[in-house]
Formats: sequence, C-alpha cells, structure tokens
Amino acid sequence: MLKVKVVFFASLKERIGQSEYLAEIALPLSIGDLKHLLASQLNQGSALLEKGIQSSIDFEFARDADMVPETVKEVAFFPPVTGG
Amino acid sequence: MIRVQEEDFQVDELYQRLLKANETGAVVMFVGLVRQFSDLPKAICHFELEHYPGMTERNLQTIVDEAKKRWSLLDVCVVHRVGRLSVDDQIVFVGVSAAHRAEAFQACDFVMDYLKSRAAFWKKESQGSNSHWVQANDQDEMSLERWKK
Repeated sequence: MLKVKVVFFASLKERIGQSEYLAEIALPLSIGDLKHLLASQLNQGSALLEKGIQSSIDFEFARDADMVPETVKEVAFFPPVTGG
Repeated sequence: MIRVQEEDFQVDELYQRLLKANETGAVVMFVGLVRQFSDLPKAICHFELEHYPGMTERNLQTIVDEAKKRWSLLDVCVVHRVGRLSVDDQIVFVGVSAAHRAEAFQACDFVMDYLKSRAAFWKKESQGSNSHWVQANDQDEMSLERWKK
C-alpha cells in the first residue's frame, strides 16, 4: 500500500469539511478510481464525483484516466478555477 | 516575472520592469479589478481569493512559457493577488513587452485567457453575511478555442 496526501480546495474543501486526507492506495489506480475510493471513505465524499471536479498530480493538471504514478507526492481535487 | 501575493501592486513599477533598453517597441498591459457585484453597499461586499501554493505558480509559468514559444517577446510579467479583496481593488496584472505591438497584444490576450481557465485560483463572493463560490464561466473555456487553431 502507498500513502498519498490528498488535498481539496475551495467549495469542495468546504463540502468535504477538511483540506487534506492521507489516503492508502494500491497501484495501479487512476484518478477516476481514486475519486471513487475517496467518495466511499470521506463524509460528503460523493461531492468528488460531481461533474466538473478537476484534479492534479504533483501540481500538474490531471484527468480521470491518468494513472497515479508510484512517485506521487500529492494529489489534489478542486472545482473549476475562477481566477483573473 | 510571476508573483502570487496578497499585497497590491504598482503598475508603474511593473511597467518599468518590462522595458528593455534599445529593444522594446511595444508594451501591452492588462489590469483586472474587482467590480461591484451586488446592489448592497460596496463596503460590505468583498472577494476572497484562494489558490493552490506550488501549483498556481507552476500553471502561470506554463502559460508564460507557451506565450514565449508562440510569439517573439522580450518579457512577460504576471502578478495575481490572493486573500481578501474589496470592490475597486486590483486583482491581476499581465504585461508583455515585445519589439512590435502585434505580438504584445496577442500574447497579453493569450496569457489572460489561459490564466482564467488554467491557473489554480478560486473566488468567493461575500455580501454581508452571505457568501458563495463563483461558478466557472463556460465562455472562459470557449475563449481558449481561438488559440487552438
């Protein structure tokens, strides 16, 4: 098992009620798989499965089909960005 | 130069940074501000801007690097504020210097378009005791299409 720091931002962080979570995962695992795993482990985790939730692996945008690499340090989930 | 900061910025100072003696023929600058978003008195309206430290700066660098690949530019400067912002406050600065104006105009437009949809910032609007997260605008995502041709 691999321990991965998962962080949440903005409205997703408020809905889940925490800014980070230490997940224990087994590879191979995609970002989409990780969303479902966390949805079953976290209170209000189903918010992760809503349309539009975006993700990153080690500070780079990721897609649901992307695989979590063995070297992963941090995965993030967040709503669509609204800067500028 | 890329900066994500709580403090306000001085446009004059950023303009001076963009100048390269004997080379600069054009500087294009964009400043985004907080406009009034409610009928309530502006004294009780504000934004809270959240970002993802580490990722946001990387996103901005990726966008600037891409602009430098597409156009012949002398310098690009991006400053984005975070934290609590009030109506009329400056939020974002994008400045581009180049030998010619066409490159500078296009690159500044490109950087702002991508910053809106590909940089990890989130805005929360507050009006008195009510607050809500700003929803992403489909138009912002569609604006990227014109750069994909």
